[in-house]
Amino acid sequence: MFFRNKTILGINARNLLYIRPNNLKSAKKLADDKLRCKRILKKAEVPVPRLIKSIKSREELENFDFNSLPNSFVLKPNFGFGGEGILVVYGRKKGRENVWVRADRSQVTEDDLRNHIKNILDGYYSRLDTPDFAFFEERIQLYKGFKPYVFRGVPDIRIIVYNHVPVMAMMRIPTEASGGTSNLHRGGIGVGIDMATGVTTTAIQYDKVIERSPNGLLLSGIKIPQWTEILKLAIKAQNISKLGYLGADIAIDRNRGPVFMELNARPGLSIQNANQEGLLLRLNRVEGLKIKTIRRGVALAQNLFGGEIEDEIENLSGKRIINSTEKIMIIGRNKREIRTEAKIDTGAGFTSIDTSLAKELGYEETLEKFNEIYQQSGGWEKLKDKNSKTREELFKKVPFLADTAIIHSSHGTSYRPVVKLKIIMDKVTIPALVTIIDREHLKFPVIIGRRNLKQFLVEVK
Amino acid sequence: MQYLNANWFIQWIVDKGVPESTVILILMIPVVVTVIAFFRQIVGIKAFGIYTPAMITFAFLSIGLQPGNTILNGAKYGIFIFAVIVIVGILSRTLVKKFRLLYLPRMAIVITLVSLATLAVLVLGGSLQRTGLASVSIFPIVIMITLVEKFVATQIEKGSRIAIILSLETLVISLVAYFLITWPPLVQIVRDYPWVVVLTIFVNIFLGHWSGLRITEYFRFGKLIK
Repeated sequence: MFFRNKTILGINARNLLYIRPNNLKSAKKLADDKLRCKRILKKAEVPVPRLIKSIKSREELENFDFNSLPNSFVLKPNFGFGGEGILVVYGRKKGRENVWVRADRSQVTEDDLRNHIKNILDGYYSRLDTPDFAFFEERIQLYKGFKPYVFRGVPDIRIIVYNHVPVMAMMRIPTEASGGTSNLHRGGIGVGIDMATGVTTTAIQYDKVIERSPNGLLLSGIKIPQWTEILKLAIKAQNISKLGYLGADIAIDRNRGPVFMELNARPGLSIQNANQEGLLLRLNRVEGLKIKTIRRGVALAQNLFGGEIEDEIENLSGKRIINSTEKIMIIGRNKREIRTEAKIDTGAGFTSIDTSLAKELGYEETLEKFNEIYQQSGGWEKLKDKNSKTREELFKKVPFLADTAIIHSSHGTSYRPVVKLKIIMDKVTIPALVTIIDREHLKFPVIIGRRNLKQFLVEVK
Repeated sequence: MQYLNANWFIQWIVDKGVPESTVILILMIPVVVTVIAFFRQIVGIKAFGIYTPAMITFAFLSIGLQPGNTILNGAKYGIFIFAVIVIVGILSRTLVKKFRLLYLPRMAIVITLVSLATLAVLVLGGSLQRTGLASVSIFPIVIMITLVEKFVATQIEKGSRIAIILSLETLVISLVAYFLITWPPLVQIVRDYPWVVVLTIFVNIFLGHWSGLRITEYFRFGKLIK
């Protein structure tokens, strides 16, 4: 049992072999000082959350005009750690002066803020209980692609950088259990990331493997935008901070893109469970390499620690490989967008979507009119005796109806409205004719049929 | 007299007027802290640092060594008081939370409530004819009450779940250390060969260089180990 393990990095080895020799005291001190980090990173043109105001003493607190605060902001202790003492405000309460609303809709008054700042100044949230500064900064806006997975708050991306090479990464998603912070020991979700592509792989909560988010969405296959840019930022932060073993925390702002949040001199080890792989092997592979440029570091990370199999097959056949369930985006009328998950059903000809989804996509009127005529003409029992020309004539006036379809399935035959919309799947935009049917009792609101699968190969697990 | 077969070194200190029990207790401190270090580095049980479990161990010892109490009683009453303090600590924290007070005044109220609850425990002990519990001296009680600050601070910083886990870990380590330092053969060894205590330094040098996985990590990363 006590033999040296060669794959997993434990706390003892992390502290003794990686943090102690590589993270010098001065570098650690910088990592703990958020305001100084912000200044230094900003100077090196690394995007950071904009500083609104720092408060360094009770006197400054007395003189601070809370009216000058924007509608949304984050209040942080400068020497805070583990996400403690951070207060996030989403907007002002309408009709009341200096009352703000938090993500859980609880209210924060000016007095609450003052109290919180006093606690921060007293050093209550600082690592060594020493007096501290408080500061207000810009709140990061949730990137749209992450929205379905997040209960509240903003996910961030943790990257371990060693010897100028990003060795492992995970996305941390706040959950209801974690109270909106992305802290893993509080119940946040950790999702492993493929280093080559920036696509998520396996996930954990409380160090146990999970497949889906609490609201039922698959956690694998999420594409992190601007992945190479994120890797570059992480390496740059290591060069600036001189933390040889660094945990870089980067968030993605809806408008600004990747924003560097925090340097971490003692990054946790659960990232190994999130990726279902040990760190020690990866650290050993980059040990002693001479890496001169940031680009080289990024290339090494992508080549050494990325899965390549899928890419290879895709290159051979020219077709993209998808899973039996895929994340898709549907674009309906007036550019209405809905992100959801679809079942890939090679047994079906047509692609079908659920009625409620169709309504959201702007086909409420289409459905109403179609059903009205359908009922009037006596349902399928009567309609089936007419020829297709007469049927077409009947439904001609239904707005935005592209066609109608007779679908034979195991449940019998049905007559359905067909509309034309766009589906984006695995980065490919597919113009599609889809039938609308009540799928409320079914697990997936959408099935993608053969007609729209010509460019894909389906991997069955 | 049991002093007769004691080591000359201890005998020499005792002759200077230091009580023998004090000498043994002080020599046991290195043993206790080494046990705690072992639990942290090899087993992976964290507890509240090194100070709190060490203090709790000696609080147990102080109860157990009281006239009329046995070693087992020390553990029993110790666990009871420990549990009461943690539970009342949790309750009063949730109570005080509503007032949105600054940290120190808030903590002061929590400790006040815990103190009163401890007093009630002693009275209860007396009325149930448990004189061993009723007559617990002030030292172990004060020590255990200070546990509340550690507990509440952890609760705020890392959540109730972690705070409760760390309390249980503290209790486990303290109990192990307590039974170890009251184990007659060990007491005998320390009395006869007090220099063995110096060996703990070498044990700790080993522990300080140990970079292998902790036992708890075999469970945490179980599936990844091939």
